[in-house]
Amino acid sequence: MTTLKEDYVASIADMDEDKALEITQQLIDAGEAPMEILGLCRSAMEIVGQRFEQEEYFLPELMMAGDILEQIGALVRPLMDANSEGSGQTVHGTVLIGTVHGDLHDIGKNIVTFMLELNGFKVIDLGIDVSTKAFLDAIAANKPDIVGLSGFLTLAFDAMKETLDAFDDAGIRNNFKVMIGGGQVDDQILKFTGADAFGINAMEAVNLCRKWTGVAA
Amino acid sequence: MGFDNLTIIGERINPGFRSVAALFDNDDIAGIQALAVRQAEAGAAYLNVNCGRRSLTDPDFLRRVIEAIQDVVDVPLSFDFPNAGVQELCLNVYDFDKAGGRKPIVNSIAQTRLDMFALTRICPFKVILMASERVEEGVGRSNRTAGEIHETARQLIEAAHQSTGSFEMDDFIIDVSISTMAADRDGLTRMALDGIGLIGSDPALKGVHIMGGLSNIGQQMPARAADGSPLGQKLENAFLTDAVPLGFDFLLGTPWKDYAPLGDDDYVLKTFREVIALSGMDALRATRRLYRAG
Repeated sequence: MTTLKEDYVASIADMDEDKALEITQQLIDAGEAPMEILGLCRSAMEIVGQRFEQEEYFLPELMMAGDILEQIGALVRPLMDANSEGSGQTVHGTVLIGTVHGDLHDIGKNIVTFMLELNGFKVIDLGIDVSTKAFLDAIAANKPDIVGLSGFLTLAFDAMKETLDAFDDAGIRNNFKVMIGGGQVDDQILKFTGADAFGINAMEAVNLCRKWTGVAA
Repeated sequence: MGFDNLTIIGERINPGFRSVAALFDNDDIAGIQALAVRQAEAGAAYLNVNCGRRSLTDPDFLRRVIEAIQDVVDVPLSFDFPNAGVQELCLNVYDFDKAGGRKPIVNSIAQTRLDMFALTRICPFKVILMASERVEEGVGRSNRTAGEIHETARQLIEAAHQSTGSFEMDDFIIDVSISTMAADRDGLTRMALDGIGLIGSDPALKGVHIMGGLSNIGQQMPARAADGSPLGQKLENAFLTDAVPLGFDFLLGTPWKDYAPLGDDDYVLKTFREVIALSGMDALRATRRLYRAG
């Protein structure tokens, strides 16, 4: 026999939106701590991530799970704000993200932004075709923990390298981690650009940010 | 070829395709020539040429690739580099005689790089205009409505006419950009179709062409649809089935693919139409039905 909490995790992992929201309300009514509820959500997202990596799930499921979590968050966060002053929204870190100059693609960047926000990161999205100067200005203003450079075109790899070289020239390269993604990135491109890591999908980007900011798995 | 009046720009000369990357890594000019011939023989009216990073770092290689392709096919080329310097080299190397006097295509000019219209000082060309992005307060932004796509197309054509170049309406190929349906919570596929409709029915834009690259549409989804058919190919044809009647007449695609209209009772077409009528979670739920029964 499964417990209510097991049912809860399974309902999110299985994309059963109605059941997930119903149990959320049951847990709230029963006085369950908001952090405990969000912990169960994290467990469910780990199952979703595993199914995605095993190609049982695809991008639509990843986004649906994210949407379910958004709805749960809307129910749970007000309780956190009311019950524990200042601890309502855990921000694991700040991620500055943008599509590098010369490239106008933003689908991958937007998905990564969406998933990072769901996973408790503050994301500052600079948009598309972002100049090196715009990255430098935004870094100075926001002091991010992580910078994400996105680009779909193969030509974007040069813009990524230029951007990273500018971080070096400005003497700020070691102040944050840099991840790249969005196209046909691999170890060779990683080495070429000088970034710290690359991700081939949104879950990998989330995992990188969690690792770099010391968020427990 | 199942669609009348659909011009294919062959997309395969691009190291972004894994099977093609090795040709570029190994300087396999003969292999690139064979790919050009195969596409031309399969019906490509233009061949897109994208040499990836090497187009910036190795201009001699880019020159050799263009010359080698023109040695074996007479179809005009489409130069796929968002960079004026690279385009300048391509246009200077391009041999009009070998292409029967036909113009090449500059792929592409967006509002963020209008200075590239000045490349007409080198030679006349057709141009792919990116209607999916606009410049707003100096920053590039993705368009999010069909009206914005339409307006951007009009502004780009106005900018072209105001430039030093001499363009005819037939020289403009408006790229509406086709998104990955797997991530489409915001109705972007619907937006692209509506944008095509607005451009195609605008008397002021009569004579322009409308295009998009279809290879993204089925990305991040499984290979097979719920009815067992090849999902990616079916989605491409579903889009074309609805887009071609609206004026979509250029396709950046693979010429040996079976582009053909789908019947109204086709499972993927029916589900495609359900998906594009929706947004948010409802759209994602419907998208899952493309590949998940029940």
